[in-house]
Amino acid sequence: MSISRRNFLKASAITAAAAIIGVEPLHKSSVLAAVVQEGVTWHKTVCRLCGVGCGVMLGVKDGKPFGIKGDKENTINKGILCVKGFYLNKMITAKNRLLHPLIRKNGKLVRASWDEAMDLVASKFKEVIEKYGPDALAYYGSGQGQTEETYLANRLFKGYIGTNNVEGNPRLCMASAVGGYTSSFGADEPIGTYADIDHCNLFLIIGSNTAEAHPVLFDRLVQRKKDNPNCKFIFIDPRKTPTNKIVDLHLQVKPGYDLAVMNAIAHQLIKDGNIDEQFIKENVNFSDGKDPITFDDYKRFLEKYTPEYAAEQAGINAADIVKAARMFGESPTAMSMWCMGVNQRVAGVFLNNLIHNIHLLTGKLGKPGCDSFSLTGQPNACGGVREGGALSHLLPGHRAVANEKHREEIAKIWKTSPDKIKPAPGKHTIAMFTAIAKGEIKGLYVLCTNPAQSLPNLNKYRKGMEDCFMVVSEAFHPTQTTELADVVLPVAFWGEKEGVYGCTERRSQHLAKALNPPGEARWDGDVLIDLAKRMGYEKGFSHFTKAEDVWNEYLLTTAGTDMDLTGATYERLKQVRGFTWPVPTTNHNGTWHRFTPEDPLFPKDKAGNRRMYFYAKPDGKAVIFVRPDKGPEEPVSDDYPVALTTGRILEQWHTMTMTGQVPELVRSAPVPYVELNPEDAKAWDVKNKDKVKISTKRGSLIIEAKVIDRTRRGTIFIPWHWPESLTNILTIDAVDPGSFEPEYKVAACKVEKA
Amino acid sequence: MKKIYLIISILVVVVLAIDMLTAQTGKASKVSFQNEHPDVDWTLGCAECHAEETPEIFKQWSESRHGQVNFGCYICHGDGIEEFSAKGNDDKCSGCHAEQEISFEKSKMESCFDCHNGHTLKFHN
Repeated sequence: MSISRRNFLKASAITAAAAIIGVEPLHKSSVLAAVVQEGVTWHKTVCRLCGVGCGVMLGVKDGKPFGIKGDKENTINKGILCVKGFYLNKMITAKNRLLHPLIRKNGKLVRASWDEAMDLVASKFKEVIEKYGPDALAYYGSGQGQTEETYLANRLFKGYIGTNNVEGNPRLCMASAVGGYTSSFGADEPIGTYADIDHCNLFLIIGSNTAEAHPVLFDRLVQRKKDNPNCKFIFIDPRKTPTNKIVDLHLQVKPGYDLAVMNAIAHQLIKDGNIDEQFIKENVNFSDGKDPITFDDYKRFLEKYTPEYAAEQAGINAADIVKAARMFGESPTAMSMWCMGVNQRVAGVFLNNLIHNIHLLTGKLGKPGCDSFSLTGQPNACGGVREGGALSHLLPGHRAVANEKHREEIAKIWKTSPDKIKPAPGKHTIAMFTAIAKGEIKGLYVLCTNPAQSLPNLNKYRKGMEDCFMVVSEAFHPTQTTELADVVLPVAFWGEKEGVYGCTERRSQHLAKALNPPGEARWDGDVLIDLAKRMGYEKGFSHFTKAEDVWNEYLLTTAGTDMDLTGATYERLKQVRGFTWPVPTTNHNGTWHRFTPEDPLFPKDKAGNRRMYFYAKPDGKAVIFVRPDKGPEEPVSDDYPVALTTGRILEQWHTMTMTGQVPELVRSAPVPYVELNPEDAKAWDVKNKDKVKISTKRGSLIIEAKVIDRTRRGTIFIPWHWPESLTNILTIDAVDPGSFEPEYKVAACKVEKA
Repeated sequence: MKKIYLIISILVVVVLAIDMLTAQTGKASKVSFQNEHPDVDWTLGCAECHAEETPEIFKQWSESRHGQVNFGCYICHGDGIEEFSAKGNDDKCSGCHAEQEISFEKSKMESCFDCHNGHTLKFHN
């Protein structure tokens, strides 16, 4: 390759300048790029952070991370990254990467060899099983673990140790969405994909600050609106957020009082005649939650939910509810999108059902531009945990532990006895950590998550984690959880291991191994196989030598199910930007709309001329549920007169284990804060940056006030990221009775000047 | 504190003047930028402070595509402490805009910001 003197000088000067300011240059021009990138290999992978599933190219030179680029071939992000994904290389090389195993001796974590650490874990776990039985052990995993890792953990604990105490942090974020999809449509996960965005002219965003929690998806929504001035956005949320930049109508509801609003929208749709009678006749059953009812019964139930009634409940204008219903009903297309504001509620499943209800009433499903589309918080909550069946009541491939046939099918693939898999569900997350706090669960294996910061009502659970024998498998140390652990195992981070992630839109994508893990860190899958062998289950795990072996076995569990991934082999996944299941054969390229004739599983013989057939339901019909309005578990009171809601900011992610390592991201919001409405702040005599004391029935937190016009009056908001300011001391651990997901989004508090 | 604001204002005026010069001549500036951020109240986030101190620039950014999706100051300017580039460092542009590499080469420009205003992002602004 020859380069001109001008370009050489340009390259030299820029490289020198970049070195001075301490950055590693990607390139200044394509000529420079060729110079600097000599010896750089770009690996196709997927972002480690939220659930959008953006394609990322990780550049590696001389065995070290060189740079990050958005993958312009990826259909999801088309080369765009958000500010968090942009710094993934800095997370790989973070100063707090854990390089060696640690075990607790005399109260302190000290360096140990792998053999010493693993022998300790295996012997302790075996001792617990012998003394107290297998249900005295538990596994707590993550929607960030790769599918192969989660599959191995699920297999070990349910199939060999013999306990269904297998949970993961998706219980804290997505369980209500699972409950909504399975009850309304018969099967988990959305019907459509992101491709529907490009055909949609009416978006209903509820309980999601999309701009900050799913920035690249938000960018796609911004572009959709820019390209199509007729495209409108309705927003139902207690806060004004950066998402408001594209919003046409904001229903700023009181936290926890939006169920009545969704019923009122249904009421108004029927009153205005904005429903699809034919679709309802062909595709919908009605239920009161226990028994079938008629459409007329449902209409009678909705009589109470006038816009005026709902407006009074939610503290908004009735006219806005009517307007929202008409915008939704009169638009030929509509997509609803929601996230934690809907799911993290004691009525989370009900609210999911109510969103599905308005799509079923209007037939706005299963066609371009229409879907009831749940957004996912973590990169592999859908793939690894929901599809992989790694919650206490599930088995892989959308199966249930309570189903004898399912246990037999999975036991055969797992090469274990069907009797080993117990029929009773294990403890859901909050029950699990309650049992740990009570000393009933003696041993816990935590993989790739930080419950000592992320559980609600933290004061109740942290001591239990400290007292039980807790093993934490982590890439970073210290975290709030590793600090309480007895054994900390150093594991490979993103880019240092191969695997598969399944994102929001049912898309499974391959992540390349581009680097070797630092120090003595190992692939989580390797560690789990090692543990299984040391516990005496060598025969059941010795055939796994690499991630692809695990994936291939996992594919067997999906064959013939509604989430058939048989055609998504490693060989194919490495070539493409993922497949949206079902993808039942190796010559199939994935499915856009499920339950429609384009779905390879669509039963044409049963469906006749119907546009949709919900084949996961016995008669192929989805269900509209009667779901009465239900307020928060802890309404405001005289003693605690203010509503507390929690959430996220753009630049940080979850407990800052990763994003907290990037100086640029830390600088954007350097200190923990609480958002106060300016009128409230005035009434409480609090000024911007004053310290305030926030108290709930569970604890208190002193934190800096940020006076800003975002929350409605009587509501405060705290981003929960900072480990030095544990927001979850304040949150409530009451759970939805169906999904067992806690109500992080609403609690009653009081605010005092500190 | 007033002194800090004065320094920031001067810096902003210099940056704007150089941007204009660059746009007019199509050549890179030879002026050295002070690559040290004034010592300010570091408990404030970049955008929070600049919304008050440099409202015009904040508005330009806020209304740009970067602002629409909150692609923050620190991407081009650094965190202000460990790294800082007053003019804006465009090393990272290709992280999202790899498709622009070819047109950039043909343009024979030194920097993305020779043609794109750093805050509005408008071409030949």
